[in-house]
Amino acid sequence: MTMISVAEFRAEVRAWLAEHVPAEPLPSWTDQAGFDQHRTWERTLFEGGYAAVDWPEEYGGRGAGLQHTIAFAEEYYRARAPERVNMGGLYLLGPVLMQYGTEEQRRRWIPDLLSCRTIWCQGFSEPGSGSDLASLRTRAVRDGDHYVVNGQKIWTSMGGFADWIFALVRTDPDAAKERKHAGITFLCIDLRTPGVEVRPLAMVDGTEGFAEVFFTDVHVPVENVVGEVDQGWKVAMSTLGFERGAVFGDHAKFSNDVAALAGLVAVRGLAEDSLALDELGRVLVETEVYRANVYRLAALAEAGGNLDSTASINKLYWTEMQHDIFATGLRLMAEDGAVVGDLAGLAGVDAVTADAWRDWHHRYWYARAAMIFGGTSEIQRNIISERVLGLPMEPRRS
Amino acid sequence: MTETLDIDRGELEQVTGDLLARHCDVAHLRDRLEAGGAHAPALWWRLAETGLVSALVPAEFGGAGLEPAHLPGVLHATGYHALPEPLLETAVLAVTLLAAFPDHPDADARLGGIAEGSLLATVRFGDADRHVAFAADAHLVLDVAPDGAVTAYAADQLEVVPAAGVDPLRPVAAVIPHGAGDLLGTSPDVAAHVRDLAVAGAACQLAGAARRLLDLTVEYVADRHQFGRPVGSFQAVKHKIADVAVGVDMAEAAALGAFGAEDAHDRARRAASAKAYAGQAADRANVEALQLHGGIGFTWEHHLHVWLKRTMSLTAAHGTPAAHRRTLARDLLARIGEEE
Ligand SMILES: Cc1cc2nc3c(=O)[nH]c(=O)nc-3n(C[C@H](O)[C@H](O)[C@H](O)COP(=O)(O)OP(=O)(O)OC[C@H]3O[C@@H](n4cnc5c(N)ncnc54)[C@H](O)[C@@H]3O)c2cc1C
Repeated sequence: MTMISVAEFRAEVRAWLAEHVPAEPLPSWTDQAGFDQHRTWERTLFEGGYAAVDWPEEYGGRGAGLQHTIAFAEEYYRARAPERVNMGGLYLLGPVLMQYGTEEQRRRWIPDLLSCRTIWCQGFSEPGSGSDLASLRTRAVRDGDHYVVNGQKIWTSMGGFADWIFALVRTDPDAAKERKHAGITFLCIDLRTPGVEVRPLAMVDGTEGFAEVFFTDVHVPVENVVGEVDQGWKVAMSTLGFERGAVFGDHAKFSNDVAALAGLVAVRGLAEDSLALDELGRVLVETEVYRANVYRLAALAEAGGNLDSTASINKLYWTEMQHDIFATGLRLMAEDGAVVGDLAGLAGVDAVTADAWRDWHHRYWYARAAMIFGGTSEIQRNIISERVLGLPMEPRRS
Repeated sequence: MTETLDIDRGELEQVTGDLLARHCDVAHLRDRLEAGGAHAPALWWRLAETGLVSALVPAEFGGAGLEPAHLPGVLHATGYHALPEPLLETAVLAVTLLAAFPDHPDADARLGGIAEGSLLATVRFGDADRHVAFAADAHLVLDVAPDGAVTAYAADQLEVVPAAGVDPLRPVAAVIPHGAGDLLGTSPDVAAHVRDLAVAGAACQLAGAARRLLDLTVEYVADRHQFGRPVGSFQAVKHKIADVAVGVDMAEAAALGAFGAEDAHDRARRAASAKAYAGQAADRANVEALQLHGGIGFTWEHHLHVWLKRTMSLTAAHGTPAAHRRTLARDLLARIGEEE
């Protein structure tokens, strides 16, 4: 399909969202009822053709270029449409299947992923393997046309709501004696398979946003391997690249957050307070810089450039920015003892600000998590210094 | 359009980088420091000869008629090489102001003079501006008043009072006109445009200077050994440098994207954000660069201080980070007020 102009597309998206975005914000997805409502919304989005505008049409996308994709996201956040809940599928597995999946796998998994019939989660971390991911121990032993999986994953985001997991498993333990990154395989597993047990874990704010996943003699068909057997590390690195790299257009989300912060500054009578202005100015600057970065990376990608070396810088930057936004908000509320909860009762608070503040605590804690998941900030600094800047390696045992 | 822009832009940046690496190297900077003056006519002639000074001068006045959006990489290179010449002031700010009033009887002489390299100019933003860069070397000072009035003063129509600036290679001064000067015209739009160019231009230079601090530091810690290994292999050192690198990279994204941006409202916001952020990032680069060079970096003999001082000077130029943050915050508060 030849794409309409960015301006026309923007207008089309804006009109569609105005008609379809639920008038009342959806309840949080962190319990089943809220999650189901988000799933329903995702279905609407899919039917409208907006689940993943940048994906090829043959997989249910619109084949849109990056400028259109950015415009879509800007409109999506402008309309304050619901949070996307199939992040593992949409931003991680989907792109990985485009790169490493077989045609059969793409046809099998992508449409359901886009419509949110299947929610995907990411099974990388284990109790003993976080930053040192390549030390993972979950085993998969070949038995005819199946693998038999035993082991455990942990901190699995949305694990309690997911239908499938893409997991890293060790298929060749001997290879690890030479090099721990060898002998790992990227395997997709249906969570309804006998032997899988998912135990939701409460997060620091009490919500059940992640889970532990246990595998006991779980039989998984060999055709669920993505990429080559024993070569899963490469696929995992590509997944992490997507997780750390730019999501084109998400700057608009942070601009909303800063606008909510400004609303708060105004409501609290701090509009002439030079410290509050400085704090508000700082986070605004950070989001504007992030917007510039998104535009730059989009231009680079469109020119066929390689974004690999930008992923860690991007992740370290946006997670620190996000933390700064939410921590600043809590600081500005400090007079109330960081009791932000519900502002709706306060005089002069408009609906948008009140909504934003209703889950400010939740968002704050998520910001703290973002500096840990997808590779901690310290790991990003290691990568930036050694792989991007080429500083001498830490003397290390392998 | 965008395609040729990209090609020209990349080429210009390359040409500038090569030229400055050769003719504005550490030896040249040292020489200027010893001589006690920043500007060197021979280097300026080279810049003019290469076409950098006349890049934005409209074709009918003898220039290449390029757009500001062609130049962010060039300005970045001037920061990277700590160029001690008024390229931003003359070739961007003064040219834009003069070209905005093409019917003025002296437009031809002034723009022509700049284009051929015989006229140095700088810009003062109203009489509150006590930090006019390169004022002592300028033949022409253009004043941009808050109401948008643009007035030209020849060197003999004003007094230049040098300020005790931190960077001897980017001298700043107060400029006190003797008479009424020569009013080119009044245009708030032109004034705003040039102010944004100054802010975003300084941000590009700042990002370039900060990039140099990063490169010097990366190079040094990879080379310097203590405890039997390069100091750059210590994680405490690496993590500081990684933070500096993020700041520099993002400052580049913001500054290079802001310079020459078109939409007037967006342009001001992008310029101010870029300048505020570049200042913050450069400050970080400055602190860590000296810290990680240790004693050698604290000597006059080592050239690190050239960029330490350049980043400080540029951070203060055309609005401090704190001033831009406040302006941006006020602007956002006004915007959300309007939406209600
Ligand atoms: C909310 C949340 C959601 C998550 N979702 C998922 C998910 O969906 N799927 C999944 O697979 N995982 C997920 N994770 C797990 C996450 O990826 C890991 O927590 C993370 O990689 C860190 O591992 P760890 O917790 O074992 O910490 P550790 O690796 O034990 O680290 C502890 C501390 O030591 C530091 N450290 C470790 N190694 C080094 C080093 N070489 N240099 C310097 N410092 C170092 C770390 O930075 C950290 O500060 C999630 C985590 C959270 C908090």
